[in-house]
Amino acid sequence: MAESAHHSSDMWVFPRSAEVTEFVTRKTFTRPGPVTLAMALTGVLLVLGIIGFVMKAAQHGFDDHTPWGYYAAMFSFVFMVTSTGPLAAAAFRITKSHWRRPLSRVSEIFGILGIFNILLFIPLAIVLPTLNNPDVGHHELALRRSIWFEGPIGSPLWWDLFGVIFVGINALALLWLSAVPDMAEAYEKATGFRRSLYGMLAGFWKGTKRQWLIHKAGMALLGAWYFMLLIFVHFIISSDYGQSMIPGWKDAIFPVVYSLSGFQSALGLILIIMFILRRFGGYQEYIGISPFWSASKLLLAFSLLWCYHMFSFGITYWYGRTELEQNVLKYLLFGSYGGVFAGNFFFSFVMPFLVLLWNPVRKSDWGPALAGASALIGAFLFNIRIFVGSFNAGNVYGEFITEVPPPVYPGLSDILIVIGGIGGAAFIYLLATRIIPIISLWEIKEGLLYQKVDTFIRGRYLVLAKPE
Amino acid sequence: MAVRPILGLFEDANYAAEAGDALKEANIPEEDYDFLTDAPYPEGAFGEREERHRLYVFPLVGALIGLTIGILMTSMTQMAYPMVQGGKPIMSLPPMAVVTYESTMLTAIVFTIIGIVFESRLPKTKQGLYDTRITEGYIGVLVNVEEDELQRVYNILTQAGAVDIVRDQ
Amino acid sequence: MQEGRVLPARQINRDLLGSILYSPRWFWGAVAVLGLIVMGGFAAAGLMINQGMGVTGLNRPVMWGFFIVNFVFWIGISHAGVMLSAILRLSKAEWRRPATRAAEVLTVFSLMTAMLMPLIHTGRPWRLVYWIYTIPFIPYDFARGIWPNIRSPLVWDPSAVYTYLTSSILFVLVALIPDLAVLRDRTTGLPHKIYTVLAMGWQGNPRQWKLQIIAGVLLSALILPVFVSVHSIVSWDFGMAIAVKPWHSTIFAPYFVVGAVHSGVSAVAFVMIILRWIYGWQDYIRHEHIDALGRLLIVVATGWFYFFVMEVIFGFYGREADEIAFRDFQINQPPWNLWFIFFVGLTYFLPVAMWLASSWRRNLWLMSIACISVNIGMWLERFLIIIPALAEKQLFTFTWYTYAPSAVEITIVAATFALVSMLMLLFARVLPLIPLYDVKEGDILKTEIQIGRRTVPATFRED
Repeated sequence: MAESAHHSSDMWVFPRSAEVTEFVTRKTFTRPGPVTLAMALTGVLLVLGIIGFVMKAAQHGFDDHTPWGYYAAMFSFVFMVTSTGPLAAAAFRITKSHWRRPLSRVSEIFGILGIFNILLFIPLAIVLPTLNNPDVGHHELALRRSIWFEGPIGSPLWWDLFGVIFVGINALALLWLSAVPDMAEAYEKATGFRRSLYGMLAGFWKGTKRQWLIHKAGMALLGAWYFMLLIFVHFIISSDYGQSMIPGWKDAIFPVVYSLSGFQSALGLILIIMFILRRFGGYQEYIGISPFWSASKLLLAFSLLWCYHMFSFGITYWYGRTELEQNVLKYLLFGSYGGVFAGNFFFSFVMPFLVLLWNPVRKSDWGPALAGASALIGAFLFNIRIFVGSFNAGNVYGEFITEVPPPVYPGLSDILIVIGGIGGAAFIYLLATRIIPIISLWEIKEGLLYQKVDTFIRGRYLVLAKPE
Repeated sequence: MAVRPILGLFEDANYAAEAGDALKEANIPEEDYDFLTDAPYPEGAFGEREERHRLYVFPLVGALIGLTIGILMTSMTQMAYPMVQGGKPIMSLPPMAVVTYESTMLTAIVFTIIGIVFESRLPKTKQGLYDTRITEGYIGVLVNVEEDELQRVYNILTQAGAVDIVRDQ
Repeated sequence: MQEGRVLPARQINRDLLGSILYSPRWFWGAVAVLGLIVMGGFAAAGLMINQGMGVTGLNRPVMWGFFIVNFVFWIGISHAGVMLSAILRLSKAEWRRPATRAAEVLTVFSLMTAMLMPLIHTGRPWRLVYWIYTIPFIPYDFARGIWPNIRSPLVWDPSAVYTYLTSSILFVLVALIPDLAVLRDRTTGLPHKIYTVLAMGWQGNPRQWKLQIIAGVLLSALILPVFVSVHSIVSWDFGMAIAVKPWHSTIFAPYFVVGAVHSGVSAVAFVMIILRWIYGWQDYIRHEHIDALGRLLIVVATGWFYFFVMEVIFGFYGREADEIAFRDFQINQPPWNLWFIFFVGLTYFLPVAMWLASSWRRNLWLMSIACISVNIGMWLERFLIIIPALAEKQLFTFTWYTYAPSAVEITIVAATFALVSMLMLLFARVLPLIPLYDVKEGDILKTEIQIGRRTVPATFRED
């Protein structure tokens, strides 16, 4: 009887369950040369960023928000990507997608950057102009336009700060809860700091039926809550630091575009990390093509949705014909930041679309990673365009934007701040991967119970079961 | 000598696959026999040949045609009736994009449908040898062979477990 | 979780073709009643054409009333088909199998019905010819040098709807071919001849099946962007205007699309419950399917609520006097405020609260109530977007009038519901509303995985 395989051999991978813990923990506890080099490099970038920050603070202080545009763009980029990262694990776990398993921990480790985001946010909390105009002049509003209207207590500063803090805590909680079984398992093999950390964070874990039930329910709840919280915080951050700083810009779709950019770029970065792990990290046995293929379809959908939402904004303003609408278009899309927008549009939509349109490319590891890199660059340009633009749009208490301000180019301190912020985030992520296994042990092992390759008449096919 | 069809009907998919194996062993070319079912089985389930097609070309060609027509139609109609509205240019890209998008998608979809029908080798004016039991769950193994091979194929199908064999009258 | 048992193909044919081969006794009675209501609607439309638009409740400044509300509503319902069928096909969701065809057919009939509304609304429907040009490539009245003004959203509208309608009809027809072959094999006489022609000589060989499967996925991927464009363009009928401030919102397009999906999927869930009941398809439309639709609806409803909140917040955000006046009108002033409370409660809070509990999702009565609730709410949503915005007293408004629909409008709107129901019933009389081959394929691919003492249902997949 002739049998033939009708699934490609590296689409789904089946590591041996008994070897998973040994292999992944060994990888976690060692620090190969390229990782050390990357950590050193990103560490240097972080230091440069701190130098840039000190230069900026010494030069301009914190009284005026305008010099901090590039800082805001850097924060928003890091926050947008890293805060949305854990969502991938949470969302695909709720939809019970088996292909997510190798991707979950790569996504959850972004939770560790919650603390970094809180620290990065503090200077922005200080420079944010108050809602009340301290000195109402001609054609100025006494209370600038914001989503807080009359301004409940502490708005917008404290609400934004609490938002970023809660997102950070929630992401950390998700990471911790997900990693508890893995840390408990790795405890026996760990020594020194890792051992005591695992003991402290997961010493209680025995893997009883009850613990697994609570673990599962806890992650579903934390995941669902995180999703709602994150969307809300995206809304307030993008509105307070973007939209409301450009006088008169009223754009209900902007928070949606912001969140979409977050989904797209975070998924893009996850795919890049997965590609590196698979190609260069020795994880071929653990990361098949399946997560790339499935995630790439979502990435394609996000790219299309991004374009659709931008078009929806653009055409409404284009038809609007009021001076305000035309000025906003000239400022953010076609004039001052026209070049940045062109790049933003190309990298966020054109390139991912052209790459991911082809199924053979989607069914590779490099194609989705390439599209992911493009989406990441696009998101970076999006944040530069919006936040440098909004921090330099003139009088925030003005009734509406009456003239189109010129673009603001980065100085040395701005460049250092931007590379430092991004480098710092990468450094912390790399550091975390040396402590928390980057492949979720329990999820991979659970997946092995529910997936296999079996014979059906004459062919060999994948068999997938879904736990209830 | 004329090529004649013969159709073996199987209740069990495994027996139909065995018939396929036996036909292969008997050096019957793969393109001369087919498995007829009432539902899609996974590709290769009967050990059959891989079917190649060019369906993906159709939507691309359709989209390109639709795009061209959309651009021409929107630009030419605007130029043919050049009425300025709201201070906007006569050749306004945002509204052109909307209508062009629709014409692109419509033509791509229509071409896809044409492609599906064409690549499925439909419509067939003469259906050929067929049995209505196939749509009741029986699996048909349809073999087209030279007349002098008919008996050998009959024997192969019978030995594989065909519950009935239908021949061209 | 797959809960159903594997059924023999013969039984699947008998059960799912039952509505065609053995017409139930109630069938023609039901069609007659629905037909009478439809006739009533046509009579009302005839009266309106004869007497003029004065017989409607339309008057300055509210010139868009029940007809346009109903147009947007049915366009919304039409989004169920492709959304469900395409997204579930692309995501390879097993539970899609019994739902796709009914959803696609509902799309076609609701789109057709939707297109009737602006025609009736014109008061001079023979002017249809002026709209036809938007079937691409056929410009109208070019002899006089008049060309469509593609800068008007009212021109985009028919182009999008016709594209969607054409695509949906072709999608349904292509997916019907294998089932037409089953009908060809099960009928005699004239029906046999008709089904033979329609089945185009289908044999069910591996090549045909492969193309059929790819067609489902490829067409889904192509129609999805069209479906998004349709309701976006409907929203731009409103959103491109700056005269009516509350309509000129950047979020209108996705807000309309998500709302359409919300009402459409709810409608499909309700239709499936009805089909299960009238045709006894308990083995095919199972509680697990309705449960899955309920879970999907929680996500869709919450997505809709997010867009709704954004739309309202940014309505206030600008603090423009006319926008605030409209919001005050919509939220504070009777009778709109009462409708507003009903709208939000019926669209989101009541149904989502019901869907949260698994046992409620599996109770078909409660699911029906929740789905009807959503659709009443969504109809009210369109009403509250259109009417108060036009009825609002604006600067230089020299006359105003509070809109109240006339009996003519109410009759015509009621008739559209009867029309869609009647068309669905008639379709079920001649073509299967559940795809036979999809159900059979699901059964073929079913398997199990043994984990210790537990047997978990599983599915064979190619990748």
